[in-house]
Amino acid sequence: MEIAYPVGTVRALMATDQVTDATRRALTERLTTETQPPQFFSNYELNLLRTICDRLIPQSEHHRAIDVAGGIDSRLAQGKSDGWRYDDMPIDEDTYQLGLAGIDEAAQKLFGQPFQQLSDTYQDQVLRAVQQAKAPGESWKKLRADRFFEELLAESTYHYYSHPLAQEEIGYVGMADVPGWQRIGLDQREEREPERSK
Amino acid sequence: MHYNKQPTPVDAVVIGTGAGGAPLLARLAAAGLKVVALEAGRYWNPAKDFATDEKAQETLFWTDERLSAGENPLPFGSNNSGTGVGGSTLHYTAYTPRAQPDDLMLRSEFGVGEDWPWGFDQLESYYEEVEQLLGVSGPSPYPWGPARKRAYPLGPLPINGAGMLMQKGCKQLGIRTSPAANAALSAEYYQEGVGYRHACTNRGFCQAGCTIGAKASMDVTYIPLALRYGAQIRPESFVTQLIKDPSGRISDVVYSRNGQEERQRCRYVFLCAGAVETPRLLLLNELANSSGQVGRNLMAHPGLQIWGEFDEAVRPFKGIPGAIISEDTHRPQQADFAGGYLLQSIGVMPVTYLTQMTRALGTWGQDLKKAALAYNHVAGINILGDCLPAAHNYLELSGEKDSRGLPKPRIYFSNGENEKRMTAHADTLMRAIWEAAGAKNVWAYPRNAHVIGTCRMGMNPTTAVVNPDGQSFDIPNLYISDNSTFPSALSVNPALTIMALSLRTADRFLTNNKRL
Ligand SMILES: Cc1cc2nc3c(=O)[nH]c(=O)nc-3n(C[C@H](O)[C@H](O)[C@H](O)COP(=O)(O)OP(=O)(O)OC[C@H]3O[C@@H](n4cnc5c(N)ncnc54)[C@H](O)[C@@H]3O)c2cc1C
Ligand code: SF4
Repeated sequence: MEIAYPVGTVRALMATDQVTDATRRALTERLTTETQPPQFFSNYELNLLRTICDRLIPQSEHHRAIDVAGGIDSRLAQGKSDGWRYDDMPIDEDTYQLGLAGIDEAAQKLFGQPFQQLSDTYQDQVLRAVQQAKAPGESWKKLRADRFFEELLAESTYHYYSHPLAQEEIGYVGMADVPGWQRIGLDQREEREPERSK
Repeated sequence: MHYNKQPTPVDAVVIGTGAGGAPLLARLAAAGLKVVALEAGRYWNPAKDFATDEKAQETLFWTDERLSAGENPLPFGSNNSGTGVGGSTLHYTAYTPRAQPDDLMLRSEFGVGEDWPWGFDQLESYYEEVEQLLGVSGPSPYPWGPARKRAYPLGPLPINGAGMLMQKGCKQLGIRTSPAANAALSAEYYQEGVGYRHACTNRGFCQAGCTIGAKASMDVTYIPLALRYGAQIRPESFVTQLIKDPSGRISDVVYSRNGQEERQRCRYVFLCAGAVETPRLLLLNELANSSGQVGRNLMAHPGLQIWGEFDEAVRPFKGIPGAIISEDTHRPQQADFAGGYLLQSIGVMPVTYLTQMTRALGTWGQDLKKAALAYNHVAGINILGDCLPAAHNYLELSGEKDSRGLPKPRIYFSNGENEKRMTAHADTLMRAIWEAAGAKNVWAYPRNAHVIGTCRMGMNPTTAVVNPDGQSFDIPNLYISDNSTFPSALSVNPALTIMALSLRTADRFLTNNKRL
C-alpha cells in the first residue's frame, strides 16, 4: 500500500513540548517494547497467532512490525480483562487457545495443511470461514467461531492502532495537544497536522 | 478481621463518587453532616497522570469482568462504566441536555413504560443549580423544551468538523439544529472550592479524561466542594458488605482497602455505585429486595451511530465531541413507537473508531487498512433514545467468580419492538442527513448506551425498590442515588439528571430528618 501520510510525524512530535510527559511516557514505552518470548501461549501458538494477525492487519513496509500477537499474549498472561465477555463464550484464556486450535483444524480440514503452511489466499479463506461461522472442525462445537473472530479482530485492531507507528500511518497526531487546537472546523489544519499525499 | 478504629459512627457513608454520589456528598457535608465517601477507584491527578492516549487511559474504566447476555449483549469496560474519584464522569463526553417534562410521563402519554413519581417541576431548579455549578456551555435560548428560567452560564463551545457537517445535512432536510449544551467550559470559570477552571482547549479527549479540568467531571466540581465542607474521601476502598443491626438498619459498611478489610460505622448509607454495582451489592448482601425488583427493569438507550467518510478533512479528534444537537425527533410525527430520541454529532478517537468498525462490519486485511487511512475524513452522528423496561432485561449474579472472589454479574439485554422501531426510524433519517452532507461509505454501528433502572424508584413497595425520595422501602437508613433509580430511561443523556436527582435526594433526606 502506498504511503498516505509522511513517515515520522508522531515520533518527531513526541520529542517536542507539544506532548505532555504522561503521554510521552505511554507512547515511548510502546515504541521501545521489544518482542518478548511468549508468557501465556506456547511458542507454536504465538507464531500461529502472529501469522493470523498479519493477515487481519497487514503490516506496513514503512516501519518495523507492530507486535500485535505479543500484546494479546501479555494481556492474557497478566489476566487482564476489558471489563466484559459474551456470556456464551468461555473465559478469554480458553477462547484464544480453543480458537487457535480451531483455525489449525479448519486449515487441515479445508486444505490438508496446518494454517502456517498455507498460501496467503488459502489462509484468508480459512479466516473468512471462521468469521462466517462456517469453519469445519470439532473445536467450533465448543466455541462460537464468529464471536471468536470478532474478539480476535477487535483486540488486534486495538493493539495495532494504539501504536505510535500505526498512528503515523493514518496521519493521527491528537497526542500533540499541549497547545490545544484552534483550527477545528472542516478542512482546517494546524501546522503540526500532516497532510495526506494526493 | 481488621477493624478501622472508628468507635463513633459517621452520619453518612456514601458509596461511589460518580454523578450520583458526588453532588449529594457535597450537599450533606455543607449541611454539617459528618460524611465519608468510599470509592473503589483511585484519586487521580489528571494534569500529571492522564495521557492523551486511549490505551493508557483504560485505567479509568471498570474492568472487573461482567457477563453480557441476551440478543443485544451490552459491552462494558470502555463502553459503559468508569471508576475513580469522580466515577464515570471522568470519561463521560459531557453532553448535558435536560430531560423534557413529557420524558417523565411516558406511561401517561403512551400507555407503556413508567411515569416518574413526581413531575419536571421537582427537577427544574436542580438542573439550573447543577448547570451553574458545572459551568455548562450552551445556547440561550435553547430551542427545545420549556423556556429556561436562567441562561446557561457560558456560551456554546466552538463547532468542529462533524458538527458543521451535521448542520449542513440537517439544514437540507429541514431539521433544526443547535449548538449543544456541554459540561465543558467555553471560557475560564470560577468554581467554589477550586478557584478558576481552565477553558476547553478543544483536545477532544473527553472520553479519555480531561487533563486541564475544563470538563466538569466530579473530581473538579462537586468533590472539591465536598472536601471544602469537611467530607472525607477514601479512595481504593471497595465495599463488599452492608451489615444490618437487629433493628433492620444498616450499622456498618465493610470494605477492602490495600488488601485489608476495614469497617465504617454509620447512621445512614447512600449507595451510589452505578446501575450495575448498586444492584450487585444489594443482591450479594440479600438486602432491600422484598419487591424482587433489584436488578430488574434494566434499560439501555438506543444509541445507533452512523459514520461516513467526507471529501473534507474532519480530523474527528478535535473539539468537543458532541458539538451539535437536534431534538426535533423528540416526538417524531407519525412515529410507530413510543417516546423519542435526540440527534448529536460525534467526534471520535482513532482506536475507538476502528475497533467499533471491526465489530460492526468485520472489516479486515487491506480493507481495514484502507478504512483506517480515511480516519481524518470521518464524522459521525448518533441518537440517544428512550428505552422501555422489559421482563427479559435484567441483572443477576452468575455462578462465576471474579478476581475479587465475588460472583460476576450477568446482564441480559435485548432490544424490544419499541427500540427496534425507533432505531429503524433513526437509521433512515441519519443516513439521509449524512448523504445530504456528502458522506461516502456510510455505515452503522448499532449500540445501546448507559445502564439504567435496576433499582427503580416508585410509589409502590411491591414494584419499586426505593420511594420517591430515593429511600429504600425495606431499610429506612439506606438511600440510593445513581442511574439505577430512574423509573424510565428518558430520551437524553443521563448524567445531568443523575446529578440533579442526587441534590434532590440529599435535600429530601435533610428535610425529612430535619437536618438530623
Ligand atoms: C464513554 C462514556 C461516555 C459517556 N458520555 C456521557 C455524556 O456525554 N453525557 C451523559 O449524560 N452521560 C454520559 N455517560 C454516562 C455517564 O457517565 C453515567 O451515566 C453516569 O456517570 C452514571 O453515574 P452513576 O453515579 O450512576 O455511576 P458512576 O458515575 O459510574 O459512579 C459509580 C462509582 O461507584 C464506584 N463503585 C462501584 N462499586 C463500588 C463498590 N463496591 N465500592 C466502592 N465504590 C464502588 C465506582 O468506582 C464509580 O466511581 C458516558 C459514559 C461513558 C462510559
Ligand atoms: S475537549 Fe475540552 S473538555 Fe474535553 S477533554 Fe478536551 S479540553 Fe477537556
